[in-house]
Amino acid sequence: MYILTNAMKNLLRNKGRNILIAAVTLVIIVSTVVTLTIGNASSKIIEDTRLRIGSKVNIDVDLAERGRLEKTGGMPEVGIDDFFSYAQSDYLSKSIFSVQLYLYSSTTFAVGDDSKGQSEWESWDGSSKSKAATIMLIGSSDPDILSDFFTGGARGIMPGGRMFGGLNECIISYDLAELNGISVGDMIVTTSIFVEPEQTFELSVVGVYSDKTEAWPGPAYEDANFFLFNRRNEVITSLETVMSRGFETDQGMEMHAEYYLKNPDNISKFEAEVRAKGLHPDYSVSINQEELDEITAPLSGMAGITSTFMFIILILGGIVLILLSFIAVRERKYEVGVLRAMGMEKAKVAAGILAEAIIISVICLFIGLGIGSAAAQPIADSILSGQVEIAAEETKAKSEDLKFLVMNGKTQFIAGLHGYTPISEIQVELDAKTIAQISMIALALAALSGVIGIAVITKYEPLKILRERN
Amino acid sequence: MSTLALQNVSYQYEGSNKIIFKDISMSFEAGKVYTIVGRSGAGKTTLLNLLAGLDVATAGRIVYDGVSLAETNRNHYRARKAGIVFQGFNLLTNATALDNILLSMHISGIKGVNKKARALDLLKKVGISPEKANRKILKLSGGEQQRIGIARALAHNPELIIADEPTGSLDENTANTILEILASLAHDEGKCVIVVTHSKEVTPIADEIWSIDDGVFTEVSQ
Repeated sequence: MYILTNAMKNLLRNKGRNILIAAVTLVIIVSTVVTLTIGNASSKIIEDTRLRIGSKVNIDVDLAERGRLEKTGGMPEVGIDDFFSYAQSDYLSKSIFSVQLYLYSSTTFAVGDDSKGQSEWESWDGSSKSKAATIMLIGSSDPDILSDFFTGGARGIMPGGRMFGGLNECIISYDLAELNGISVGDMIVTTSIFVEPEQTFELSVVGVYSDKTEAWPGPAYEDANFFLFNRRNEVITSLETVMSRGFETDQGMEMHAEYYLKNPDNISKFEAEVRAKGLHPDYSVSINQEELDEITAPLSGMAGITSTFMFIILILGGIVLILLSFIAVRERKYEVGVLRAMGMEKAKVAAGILAEAIIISVICLFIGLGIGSAAAQPIADSILSGQVEIAAEETKAKSEDLKFLVMNGKTQFIAGLHGYTPISEIQVELDAKTIAQISMIALALAALSGVIGIAVITKYEPLKILRERN
Repeated sequence: MSTLALQNVSYQYEGSNKIIFKDISMSFEAGKVYTIVGRSGAGKTTLLNLLAGLDVATAGRIVYDGVSLAETNRNHYRARKAGIVFQGFNLLTNATALDNILLSMHISGIKGVNKKARALDLLKKVGISPEKANRKILKLSGGEQQRIGIARALAHNPELIIADEPTGSLDENTANTILEILASLAHDEGKCVIVVTHSKEVTPIADEIWSIDDGVFTEVSQ
């Protein structure tokens, strides 16, 4: 007990030296609190996101393979029945389907289309021309998820309207409605292209929605006047409305199916199941790692920055602490000599030095937890905003990449669906796991500091120390 | 029966040919004051270090209560059995006088006493007021530091008191007080008191006076 009491008194007796050691320890602990808090919060969100979004299965042919197959005319088709058949799996929590159909209309003009529905598309080899599709019909089994109508999303049904329910009901954007003078209750008439004979959709507008999403997927679409890729020109209806016409995927309709696994780790089991159901080997079955990476990129970047920072601080701080402890114990050599001359055992002298280091670390731990937890949120916000900007730049660059594909008439690859936006907010809180980790680091620092002292004092005999001093 | 005995003790510093002591034997009994005198550099402090268990004889044995110090826990010996007054005081300079005394008691592990009261009482005996007891050592004079060193040596009520020039920094009155305390400890409380000094001030309280010269001990008649 007296060792502890003496250690506490010693801390006060040597204020200057101990304040210096405490300052270094505090800097290390505060930095560690901030970085660990942010790192752990990021990891938790990334894992949650992986479970939530990473459970989404992609069944697709990769772009390079698709190009090769299309040129050789060997692109394997997945039939509508196949899409629905894959959904019948115990590994899935839910399945969402959407279809897209390219339409033109002589009565409903697309936003931005100054030709009023008269523009034409030339075939890729220039041998024929056809009416240009300017409106995208989206049939969705779950519009809330696919089209940003979820709570807090970028789209919302305006007063006086509602989400479609029955057959041949649709909702349209405010811009499209205003351009064409369409109100809730009006009918719009559109015609599908790529289908022989042409199919006409007479749809009742039951809702007009406000839309804060980006209109164009990228500048290339806007430059090329691909009006149907302007999100304001989407006409959203139920999956049943489109499917009731009996289209097949080789009739200009593109179908998207989203399968959500109960557990992302079951991807290989699910793949085996769909292969058994006849999925062509050219198709890959995977969770959407790229999208997941895109969503979590800011957090991963932030976690990387904080980890690196913590590593550097721990190394540099540790070195400074070792040097300080070494100098401090050398300064205290005489004190050690006196204690040993009074008959104090080496182990007890060592315990005293260790106790001092632990007391400093514990005090710094409490102060550091307070300062660190207060500083973590603003620091996280600051780093994350930088990472979000980087992620946005990368996303923009990827949009530019799509230009090549569009200009080659392969618009079906990237049509319509919009992914999740990168995580741009993080709530960092000090949790039990982080406190435990920081406590371990604080103890390690105390041990590091104490061990230096112990190593030094065990080197000398008391008489030698006292002789040197006298 | 002797409390402490030197049995054919020789000593020379490591790496040196100079022999400080050669084959000396003498014994110290409880209840007596021993004074060892000699000129500077004669080896008085070296002898004290050997008796205090801070150093080990090159040859021979130093025996306390029948056990060789080389074979016993010398930390325990210094902490509980011997009280040492160092020539250079060897106090914890950034601690208070009181803390120096208390720490000595804690190290010795004495129980059943009010440590603070005993410490203040000892300080009072050597002429340190309670107000000065709470001052840091560095803020006290050399004489006061020496007295605190003496109080510390007595703090754990040792059976053996070994003092190196205990009155060297003291004025005559204080020196006399200290000598009276040392004499009383031997004659009234049955302690064995060994004083190493070059000063003749101490000799009046001595029961035996020994001289050390060229590594040879000679008893001096009073």
